[in-house]
Amino acid sequence: MKRTLLSETDTSSSETDTSSPLASLPRGAARQGSFGLAALRVTLGILVLATWADNLSKDLYTADGLTGLINWLFSPDGNSSSLSAYQSLLESVVVPNAGLFGVLQLIIEFAFGVGLLLGLCTRLCSLLAAGFFVSLFLGYYGGHEWIWTYVLLTVSAIAVYLGYGGRTLGLDHYLAKARGDSPGSLIW
Amino acid sequence: MKEPDIGSGSTDTVTRVQPQWPIAVARMLIGLLWLGSLRWKLPPDFDGGSERSLRSWLDLEIEHAAFGPYGRLIESVVVPNFALFAWLLFLAELFAGLSLLLGLFTRAGSVLGMAMSINLGIGLVAVPGEWPWSYVMLAMWHGLFLVLAAGTSISIDNQLRRRALPRPLRHLL
Repeated sequence: MKRTLLSETDTSSSETDTSSPLASLPRGAARQGSFGLAALRVTLGILVLATWADNLSKDLYTADGLTGLINWLFSPDGNSSSLSAYQSLLESVVVPNAGLFGVLQLIIEFAFGVGLLLGLCTRLCSLLAAGFFVSLFLGYYGGHEWIWTYVLLTVSAIAVYLGYGGRTLGLDHYLAKARGDSPGSLIW
Repeated sequence: MKEPDIGSGSTDTVTRVQPQWPIAVARMLIGLLWLGSLRWKLPPDFDGGSERSLRSWLDLEIEHAAFGPYGRLIESVVVPNFALFAWLLFLAELFAGLSLLLGLFTRAGSVLGMAMSINLGIGLVAVPGEWPWSYVMLAMWHGLFLVLAAGTSISIDNQLRRRALPRPLRHLL
């Protein structure tokens, strides 16, 4: 049998056995992640929530806070990030609506942090997290910050997504057991 | 023994084999991370040119040591023997980078990479501008490569496993 890395469930005895207890479960319910990915997911969740709380204490989710961060990113006295196209996008779309984007970021970042920590709707949360980390990568690219941080974060979120990281030690296990796969497997 | 179903749809409730390539891609990326970090610690002078040099990073670790004994160790042992430790570090990062990039002796590269990540985390946790979570994630990924046997996919280890290797060498794959 081909060795599984992300799944720790032995499929050898159940794949053709219609009398298996698994046969009564909804579609996809038996799909599991691994304990390794569960640990990665929980770490990501703690990391996101710790950073969220720190940002909240610094008023970063306010209009002034978000605008200040964007200015700092591309300032020669700040991070000196170099992607001018991304700078232009942020300055023309986000800065004029910084209050709205601040509130959205406050809510969404907290939501996917909790989701990752608990393994609830993990595929959706890890996709949101990956998108958020990519935006950070673009924002910090070319500056003083160690850009590999954002590569590691993005790869971690994608691995949790691809490996169904909420199905082990997560609430998605119970969701999948009760309801099978989510539509398109995009939510849990 | 039959191969497991990989999502053909014929056995809906069967656990499907999860893809192995994401872990392999992550392994290769982190191998590139180690190799890329060599550029500012190249022998013989281990100077980073326009970038911050290895020596200046050590000075920062001493100046902003979160753990007193660690700072004193760097100051009293590593700095006076800078060339020796710089060579050791260069070779360790080169080995970890190549090991993870190629999937060659992956477990050995993972253990070494994890030790270096923890060392970086301890040394840099209180340095201004450093984000400790970076090193937590880095150490965690090496731990995952170790326990998930990340060298079984897109790797030279995969080829070596098919050969009769001495037992001690097999533990490094």
